[in-house]
Amino acid sequence: MRRSSMVRLSLLLSVIFALGMAATIFVALALGQNAVERRVDTTLEALASTALLESAKGESPSMILRGTDDLAGLPLPFQRAAARGGGTIELERNYLRSDIWRVLISEDSAGTPVMVAVSLEDSEQAQELLAGILWSTAGLVIAITLAIGSFAGVLAQRRLARVNKTLTQLAAGDLTARTGHARSRDDLDDIARQLDRTAAELESLVAQTRNLSASLAHDLRTPLARLRSRLEMLPEGDERSAALEEASHLSGVFDTIMRVARIEAGQGRDGFTEVPLGDLITELEEIFGPVVEDDGKVLKVALSAPATVQGDRQMLVQAMANLIQNALVHGGDEITLIGRSRSIGVADNGPGVDPSEYGEIIKPMVRLDSARSTEGTGLGLGLVRAVADRHLAHLSLAPQNAGGDKRGLRVMLNFADL
Amino acid sequence: MRILLLEDDNQLGPWIAGGLREEGHVVDHFDDGKDALIAAMGQDYDLLILDRMVPGLDGLAVLKSLRASKDTTPALFLTALGEVDARVEGFEAGGDDYLTKPFAFVELSARVNALGRRRETSESGEAASTILRYADLSLDLLTRRCERQGQPIELMAKEFKLLEYFMRRPGRLVTRTMLLEQVWDMSFDPTTSVVETHISRLRAKIDKPFEGALLRTRRGEGYVFGQ
Repeated sequence: MRRSSMVRLSLLLSVIFALGMAATIFVALALGQNAVERRVDTTLEALASTALLESAKGESPSMILRGTDDLAGLPLPFQRAAARGGGTIELERNYLRSDIWRVLISEDSAGTPVMVAVSLEDSEQAQELLAGILWSTAGLVIAITLAIGSFAGVLAQRRLARVNKTLTQLAAGDLTARTGHARSRDDLDDIARQLDRTAAELESLVAQTRNLSASLAHDLRTPLARLRSRLEMLPEGDERSAALEEASHLSGVFDTIMRVARIEAGQGRDGFTEVPLGDLITELEEIFGPVVEDDGKVLKVALSAPATVQGDRQMLVQAMANLIQNALVHGGDEITLIGRSRSIGVADNGPGVDPSEYGEIIKPMVRLDSARSTEGTGLGLGLVRAVADRHLAHLSLAPQNAGGDKRGLRVMLNFADL
Repeated sequence: MRILLLEDDNQLGPWIAGGLREEGHVVDHFDDGKDALIAAMGQDYDLLILDRMVPGLDGLAVLKSLRASKDTTPALFLTALGEVDARVEGFEAGGDDYLTKPFAFVELSARVNALGRRRETSESGEAASTILRYADLSLDLLTRRCERQGQPIELMAKEFKLLEYFMRRPGRLVTRTMLLEQVWDMSFDPTTSVVETHISRLRAKIDKPFEGALLRTRRGEGYVFGQ
């Protein structure tokens, strides 16, 4: 699973929860230890004040009572603790039965300074037991939290992934894609349902457009074909040729409109293949080089590290052919085919176009400006723009050369980095 | 040739049928898909010309049914849906060529003859040769060498392809659209004189320096290679 934000979020929350719990347990144990020590100290104090050193002196397995001047023979930590005035000591080996003692300097009932010590063995054991219980409970709770969190995260992620997959399919042109989610219990369900509804609407709109353009094509091409058949039946002559030429021009205009409409109505990457831009430029040079040359002009090629892009080769050839045609009609005596990394384009050294008009000439079809260009009265880049849009490429216009010189025109299709 | 024509338009149908008959073909004209399918199942035609949108049964469905029953008769689709998708659909259904309305009759006629010719050669089992020859001109497809009267001729890649296309169809009318589709793989008209330019360059190499032109222009119709 890729970048599952839901799972990450639940993991993060679990970690924070675990840290909080650990801190609480540490504090609780420290406080508990402290309380135990204070209670023991009170007991020791009471013990010392009620005892009489002379009669009670000595040690039992869990208690020691000695005069402060009579500490010889006890392990060193006792003497150090006595010097400090008391405290908790831990021994390396058991003394009597225990290795942990609480030491207090006090006075017996006769006022003699004494050292009292009791074994903390029992309370230590109790403390350890408590810690054990706390830690294992915490561990269990954290594990459960983590499990529930991840489970919920994975579930939410799966639902998001389905939405994501559907969106990807839609973007790729499969308008029948749906999340198939009809329940509505939370906001994620709502999103999925809304997406399905939008996709259904999109699908029917596209179907309508397709039907419309198909029937439009049929309804216009059939009468054009009849017209043509009638003209061809006329006796040979100049009138007949002129009329046939007009008819051809008419269907040419119509073809251009339909072609742009088709490119604009197309979706996703239907018909896309790997297109090495270098090969494309070389082929264009092969096709159009002689044409440009016969027109008394020069066709140059500027290739630098051309990349391979995903595209519809036919469409790209068509767009470039349009640009070359434009350059032939409106440009100067030098036309350059450019293939630079992920960009292709055509530049010419003609009079150029005022940059304020760039927006005008790349206006989206279906307006007739593209059709007019076949007569050479305009620059219409409607088809080029449609092809660029279809490839999610950025269409850029600039003077031929960067810098102050505003002459010439350079039209580039810049393919997005993938 | 015996041709089946499926076209429901009451003006285009008779025009096409009449034109083909004038050229010496036998034409059975139908305006309903079902009738056409029944006829095609029952008789042996040399070529089918099918309109895409007709009542009864769509031309595409007719051809699909025929191809499903192993009928390999060449088929040419006529359509008012001149779009690439529709074109691809037609080829996928087993169509051999595709012509968008409106079209010039000479364009249809050239394609009809090309399809009929293809059938003749494939049925006569002519071995695929790697050297094409016509009169004193030869084109070696393997070494990519071209010679006329023993003199080597340098051809550019597209010129080579163009000449190969012509030499495989001697004496046949080849239209500009056919060349754009077959040699340049362009199903659109680039408006620039791509075809004319390359033809004139090819001619300058194979015809100009020699006696007897092989590649001739038929004004308003197309080009013919050889006699």
